[in-house]
Amino acid sequence: MDPYYVQQLAIGLSLGMIYALMAIGFTLIFGVLNVVNFAHGEVYSIGAFAGLLLITAFGPPLLAVFLLVLAVGAATGFGLERLAFRPFRRFSDEASLKSRAMREATLMSSLALSIFTREAMELVFGSEFQTVPLDYLINEPIALGPVTIVTGDIIIFVAAAVMLGGLQYLLTRTATGRAIRAVSNNPLGAKYVGINTNRTIVLTFVIGSMMGALAGIMVGLYYGAIFPAMGFTPAVKAFVAMVMGGLSSIPGAVICALIIGVSESLATTFVSSVWADMVAYSFLLLTLVLFPQGLFGKGRDRV
Amino acid sequence: MTPILEIDGVGLRIGVQDILRDVSLRLPQGGIVAILGSNGVGKTSLMRTISGVYQATSGAIRHQGEDITRLQSHEIVARGILQAPEGRQIFSNMTVRENLVIGGGPHGLAELDHVVSLFPALGERLSQGAGSLSGGEQQMLCIGRALMRKPSVLLLDEPSLGLAPKLVRFIFDLIERIRSEGYSVLIVEQNAKAALRVADTASVIEGGRIVIEGPARDLADDPRIAEAYLGGHVHVP
Repeated sequence: MDPYYVQQLAIGLSLGMIYALMAIGFTLIFGVLNVVNFAHGEVYSIGAFAGLLLITAFGPPLLAVFLLVLAVGAATGFGLERLAFRPFRRFSDEASLKSRAMREATLMSSLALSIFTREAMELVFGSEFQTVPLDYLINEPIALGPVTIVTGDIIIFVAAAVMLGGLQYLLTRTATGRAIRAVSNNPLGAKYVGINTNRTIVLTFVIGSMMGALAGIMVGLYYGAIFPAMGFTPAVKAFVAMVMGGLSSIPGAVICALIIGVSESLATTFVSSVWADMVAYSFLLLTLVLFPQGLFGKGRDRV
Repeated sequence: MTPILEIDGVGLRIGVQDILRDVSLRLPQGGIVAILGSNGVGKTSLMRTISGVYQATSGAIRHQGEDITRLQSHEIVARGILQAPEGRQIFSNMTVRENLVIGGGPHGLAELDHVVSLFPALGERLSQGAGSLSGGEQQMLCIGRALMRKPSVLLLDEPSLGLAPKLVRFIFDLIERIRSEGYSVLIVEQNAKAALRVADTASVIEGGRIVIEGPARDLADDPRIAEAYLGGHVHVP
């Protein structure tokens, strides 16, 4: 095989992992609340800016930057749920919890918060690219025989794999994770077994936002491009991955995110990189037309 | 003696509708109380109010003398008031074992042997998906899940609904068996005959209020019970 394709495959996988981290945030929140969180892209930008501020102020080791960004992501998720979602959850019975009115209200409130946050960041930092200190860029080339990848590909892949593995462990082996799955499966049933559904929902936002924020700083350091609107494109791709994966299937979203990442990366061989964005939209269109339940969506008992 | 569960003049208003009006009843320690009535009279709403899914708009609910009216559902469960709710509300995407682990809460699987001894059918299907169980097995899982917490009060909402006669008998035998183990049970049923056979006392709800109450033995022969179920109005003396 032409080494060029292997190289594009490696880049595509790390890109796909970024989309996967973002898609999990969407999927987890959609699972427990049946709503789309339109402010998820801003969590990504906030993660990148938090990391950049830390780097320019203290210049700590990369791992410390990642840990702080995770903490900022957690706080952002907590605040997001409080500001844009909690106020619309006044009634706790099943009908209100999953009602259309609630879905549309939080759609608007999260969109509003997203616009507000982005504009606020532009006001403070300006809308142009920020300068990232060169030492922190994760684009050292590594030659593996005829194939050249960069450190960022490996860092992103490993960090995302650790996060995904951790999430899988959390969801299947811990009481907290079982609570998230229980609320996702049957919110009313969760109340009857004594699960604190509000706390579980907050936790879901915290976990999803930690992943989104980490994705943001990693991409920021990979491309050296940190700017307030940076979260929009990956959020759209992740949204497509979620829809393709069947809305509430985490493995489905991850696999579809990887498919999108690899396809985009390979597509640049044939078309200009601007057109590569079309790949995700074509997938979305094809999924909606051919597999309305998503590729991995089961017959869902409620929407 | 303080009853384990006391409902004292509870009213529930949702929107402009009065669902429950001035409902009072007492569940003594180790007793079985039945709530009877036809569809849509407020039986399930009462059960949901006890479990904290709905908030009572007036009156009080007390557990061992402690006021629990304003508590949230998870706080009520933490006090040992467990419900096998209407519609079963099991976690269909998870295995039987996972349903039971979640039901156990802080106790985990400590009660698993006990629950499996009550429902041998569940023991054979622990790693099966809960959604693939038959209706009767789902009902067993629903009750078993509640028992995993060693409840001080067990609320059963229509446990025999939609089950074959043989299973209905099984469920009612089970209720007597768990009573003999010291559990206190509040049961909502449309199958008045079966419920009155196991209960100590019973209350009939109509239009959101209790219209008849008394010892189950006396009510079993009361013509007004049949009338209530046929949708006729009960004449309260």
